[in-house]
Amino acid sequence: MTEPAPGRLRGLDGVLAALVVSVAAHFPYLPSWTLLLLLAAITWRWTADRRGLPLPPRWLGVTAAAAALVVVLAAYRTLNGIEAGTTFLVLMAAAKLLETRASRDLTVLVFVAYVVLYAALLRDQRLQLLPWLLAGTLLATAALLRVHAGSAGDSWRGLLRRTSALLLQALPLALALFLLFPRLPGPFWGLAAPSSARTGLSDEMTPGDVSELSVSGEPAFRVRFAGAPPPPVQRYWRGPVLHEFDGRSWRRPRGQPLPEQAVTVSGAPVDYQITLEPHDRTWILALDLPAEWPAREAYRAYDFTLLSPRPLTDVASFHLRSYPSYRAGAVLPLSVRHRDTQLPPSGNPRAVALGRELRARYGEPRAIAGAVLRMFRRLPFVYTLQPPRLASNAVDEFLFSTRKGFCEHYASAFTVVMRAAGVPARVVTGYQGGEFNPIGGYLLVRQSDAHAWSEIWLDDAGWVRMDPTAAVAPERIERGLVSALGADEPAPGRLRQASELWLQVTMTWDAVNDLWNERVVRFNEARQLDLLERLGFEEPDWSTLGLGLAASLATFFVALSAYLGWRHREPARDWPARLHAEAARRLRRRGLVPGRTEGPAAFLDRAAAECPDLARDIRRIRDLYCALRYGPSPESGDLGRLKHLVNRLRP
Amino acid sequence: MRDALRRLRAGLDRRMGAWIRRRQGPDRDPVRLVRGRIYILPTGLGVAYAVMVVAMVAGSLNYSNNLGLGLAFLLASLGFVAMHHCHGTLSGLELRLLASEAAFAGQPVRFRLLLENRGHVPRPRIEVSAGNEAPQVADVPSCGAEAATIALRSLRRGRVRLDRCVLATRHPLGLFRAWAVVHPDYTAIAWPQAADRGRLPPGVETDTGGAQDRARGEEDFTGLRPYQPGDPLRRIAWKAYARGQGLHTKQYAGTDVVSHVFDWDSLPGLDVEARLSQLCRWVLDAHGSGEAYGLRLPGVAIEANIGSGQLQRCLDALALFDLDDGDD
Repeated sequence: MTEPAPGRLRGLDGVLAALVVSVAAHFPYLPSWTLLLLLAAITWRWTADRRGLPLPPRWLGVTAAAAALVVVLAAYRTLNGIEAGTTFLVLMAAAKLLETRASRDLTVLVFVAYVVLYAALLRDQRLQLLPWLLAGTLLATAALLRVHAGSAGDSWRGLLRRTSALLLQALPLALALFLLFPRLPGPFWGLAAPSSARTGLSDEMTPGDVSELSVSGEPAFRVRFAGAPPPPVQRYWRGPVLHEFDGRSWRRPRGQPLPEQAVTVSGAPVDYQITLEPHDRTWILALDLPAEWPAREAYRAYDFTLLSPRPLTDVASFHLRSYPSYRAGAVLPLSVRHRDTQLPPSGNPRAVALGRELRARYGEPRAIAGAVLRMFRRLPFVYTLQPPRLASNAVDEFLFSTRKGFCEHYASAFTVVMRAAGVPARVVTGYQGGEFNPIGGYLLVRQSDAHAWSEIWLDDAGWVRMDPTAAVAPERIERGLVSALGADEPAPGRLRQASELWLQVTMTWDAVNDLWNERVVRFNEARQLDLLERLGFEEPDWSTLGLGLAASLATFFVALSAYLGWRHREPARDWPARLHAEAARRLRRRGLVPGRTEGPAAFLDRAAAECPDLARDIRRIRDLYCALRYGPSPESGDLGRLKHLVNRLRP
Repeated sequence: MRDALRRLRAGLDRRMGAWIRRRQGPDRDPVRLVRGRIYILPTGLGVAYAVMVVAMVAGSLNYSNNLGLGLAFLLASLGFVAMHHCHGTLSGLELRLLASEAAFAGQPVRFRLLLENRGHVPRPRIEVSAGNEAPQVADVPSCGAEAATIALRSLRRGRVRLDRCVLATRHPLGLFRAWAVVHPDYTAIAWPQAADRGRLPPGVETDTGGAQDRARGEEDFTGLRPYQPGDPLRRIAWKAYARGQGLHTKQYAGTDVVSHVFDWDSLPGLDVEARLSQLCRWVLDAHGSGEAYGLRLPGVAIEANIGSGQLQRCLDALALFDLDDGDD
C-alpha cells in the first residue's frame, strides 16, 4: 500500500459527502446506531484530515471491521438481505475510514457508496428515490473524479459540471441497455425475505389497527377498469378474512387449507387491471368477488381472498375479472361452520347474551342481522377515527357504553353478536371505495380507504356481506372517509378535498407515480418485445434484442469517439490570414504578387492603387483585416464581412 | 509465488515493449501521439468496478429490479465513457525535446521535455516516465504546454540516450490506464567523473593578456575574495589570514591571464578513463579559478580560452573521446 500522502488527502471531502448521501437514501430503514457510528467515523476522519492528526494503527481498522461483522451477525443472524447487508457495508465503510490513507482507499469507498445506493433501490423503487439515485451517483462520481483528476478537480463547481457531462454522455447507452438488455422471466436464486414491515393490512386485527392505517394517505393500489368503474357501494376490495377471535383481536388462521367452495356468478362482469404497491404479503386486493385470474400468478383461497404464491415485494399487476353479484358457497362444510361460530369461552358476556336473545326472538339469521344493524342505526353510535380506549371486554364496552368506534369496532361487534346467535360469521378486511383520478384514468385506493366488514352465512344465499359501518355512517361507503367523519376530526385527505388546486396537484403527482410504476418499475420482457414491435421489427425475440444491443453499442462508441475528437480538435486556423492569402491568390490574376518585404496592408494598398475598379473593396478588406488582426476588440460580424468581400473579389 | 508472478509480468512487459518497438519504429522529434499508438487497459480498480457493475446487473435481473438495473447500466456506460476520455486525454498530445542537460557520470542527466496540447481541452495527470524511475506527473493546459523532466543516471561517460519513454494517464476516473510508448532519439552527455585532487597541473604559461589592456596592471589592487583551490600562493592575503579572517585571495585589475594547456600526453602510465578523469579535474579547477586553459587529446586540440563555453567544449570533448559517434 502507499504511504500516507503528505498533507491533506485529495478528494476525501467528496468521498465523505458521497457516503453520506448514499446512506441517507436508506434513512428510515437502517438502525440509528449504524448511522451514528458512520457519522462519528466521518467526523473523526474529516477532523483528522484537517488537523493532520495521525491515523490509528492498521490493526485497529481490522479489529473494527471484525467487530462490525460480529455486531451485524448478532443483530440480524445473517448477512443476506438488504438490511443486514447494508448495515454490514456501512459499518465496513466506517471501519475503512479509520485507515484511509491513499487514493486507492478512497476509490474503494466510492465503490461502497455506489453499492449502498444500489441496495436502497433493491428495497424500494418509488419515484421519490430517483433524486437520491441521481444525486448519489453524481456525487460519488464527482468524488471519483476528484480523487483522480489532479488539480483539475479542485473547484467543486467545475467538478460537478464535468461529472454531469460524463454522466450525460453515459446516459444514451445506459438507456439503450435498459431498454434492450434481456430480462429474466423469474428469479434464478432465492429471494431474501424482507424484514421491514410496510404499511398495509395484516393477518390480525385489533381495535385501533385499521384506524391507524387510515391515517396514511399513501397509495395502496390502483385500478384501471376496462369499462365503467362500478358504483362506490360495490367497491369492496377483498383482503384477508379473519376467522379466529380471542375476545379482543381477530386472526387469520395459519395452515390447514380448507377445500375451495363453489362460486356461481351472475350479472355483468367487471374487468380491470389492478397494480399493487408492494406490501410484502400475499393478498391481491381483488374486487368482491374475483372469478377469473391468471392461473400461474394467483389462486383463490377457500374464503375467496385472491392470493399470490409469493409475497408482493415489488410493484405487481394483475388482470382480473370480478362479479359484483355472486353466490359464494353452496353448502357450508361442517369444519367451516364450526370455526366461524366459535367464540372464546368467557368474555364479552353482554354481547353474547344479546346474540342469544336475538336468536330466541327472531330465529332466522337474516332477521337477526337486520336487528343488529337497526340497533347500530337507532342507538347513538358514533363513527370516529379516535374512539376511546377499550379495556378487557372490548365488544361489551363498545356496544353498551362507549358506542364510539371505527369500522373495525363495528365489524368485530357485529360478528361476535352473530356468532353468539349461532350464525356463522367472520370479519373481512380490505379496502372500500377509492378515488377516481381523471388525469391517469384509474381508481386510486389509498391506505386511508382500509376497511373491515363482516360476512355471514345464509343457507339460501351463501356468504353474504354485511357492512355495519354502512348502517352507522352510510356516507363512508358512498363518499369516503372524510365525509363520514365529524368536521372537527383530523382526517387524511381533508386538506386535499378542501382545495381544488391541491387536489389537482396530488392527482397529478399520483398519475406521475402510476406512470413511473407502469413504464419503469414494471418494464419487462413483454414490454421490451412490444417496444421493438412498435419500432418496426416483426416478431421480435431475443436475437432482435441482441442485435439492437450490438447496434447501440457500436453507435455509441463511434458517436462518442467522434464527439471527443471534435472536443479535442485544434482551434480553427487563423481565418484572417487565410482570407488574406485567398485575396492575394485572386489578385494574382492582375499580376499582383506580395513582395518579400511587403506587409499585408501595404500589399493591399498597392493593389487598390493598381486596380481602381476594385479599390473600394480592397480598401475595406484591408481595414477589416487590420481590425481583426490588430484591432483592440474585433466586432463579431467582421470575419463574416471579410469572408464575403474576399469571395466577391473577382479581378 | 509472488516472485514468479512478478517475473512473468516483467517478461510480458518486455515482450510487449519489443512488440511495440517493432510496430512503431523509431520516432522523430516532435512526436505526436496519434490514435493508433495509444494502448489502453483497465486498472485494478477498473476491474473491481466492472465486477461490481456485473454483480449489480445480475442482482437486478434476478430480483427484476428495474431501478437497480438502471443504476448498473448507468455505471457500466459511465465506464465506457471514462475509457474514451482516458484515451482522448493522450490522443493528439505532442512531445518534444526542450533541452538535454549534461551531468558528470554517476549523476543524472536530464531531458527536459515539452508536452504540447493544441486542443481546447486540458489534459491533466499525464505521467511521464522512462525506465524504472518514478513517473513525473504533468497537468497540460488547453492550447498550451507543460514541461516535464526525465532524469537518467549513467555510470559511464559518453552519450546517454533516451530511446524509450512512456506517457500514461488514468484520468478521469482511474478505471483505465492509457499509455503510449515513444522511441525518440534524444541524447545527453555524461562527462567523465573528475579525479580526486592531488596531481598538480603541468606548468603555467603566462599569456600577454595584461599587455592588451595597459590601464590595468598587476599593481592595481582591487580587493579580496575568498580563497579558491588553485589560487596561486603568492596571491594569498597572508596578513588577513594572520588576523584570523581566513584564507583570502588578493585581486588585481589587469591580472595576467594565466593559461594552461592540459595534455593527454602529460599523463603517461594511466589508462584512458583515469587520464580523462584527471584532465576533467584540471579543467574544472582551472575554470573555477578563472584561468584560461586549453586541451590536447589525440585527434583533438582546443585552444586556450576561458568561460562556460570553453568548459562545455572541453568537457564534451573528454566525454566523447574515443567513442564512436552515434553508437553506444
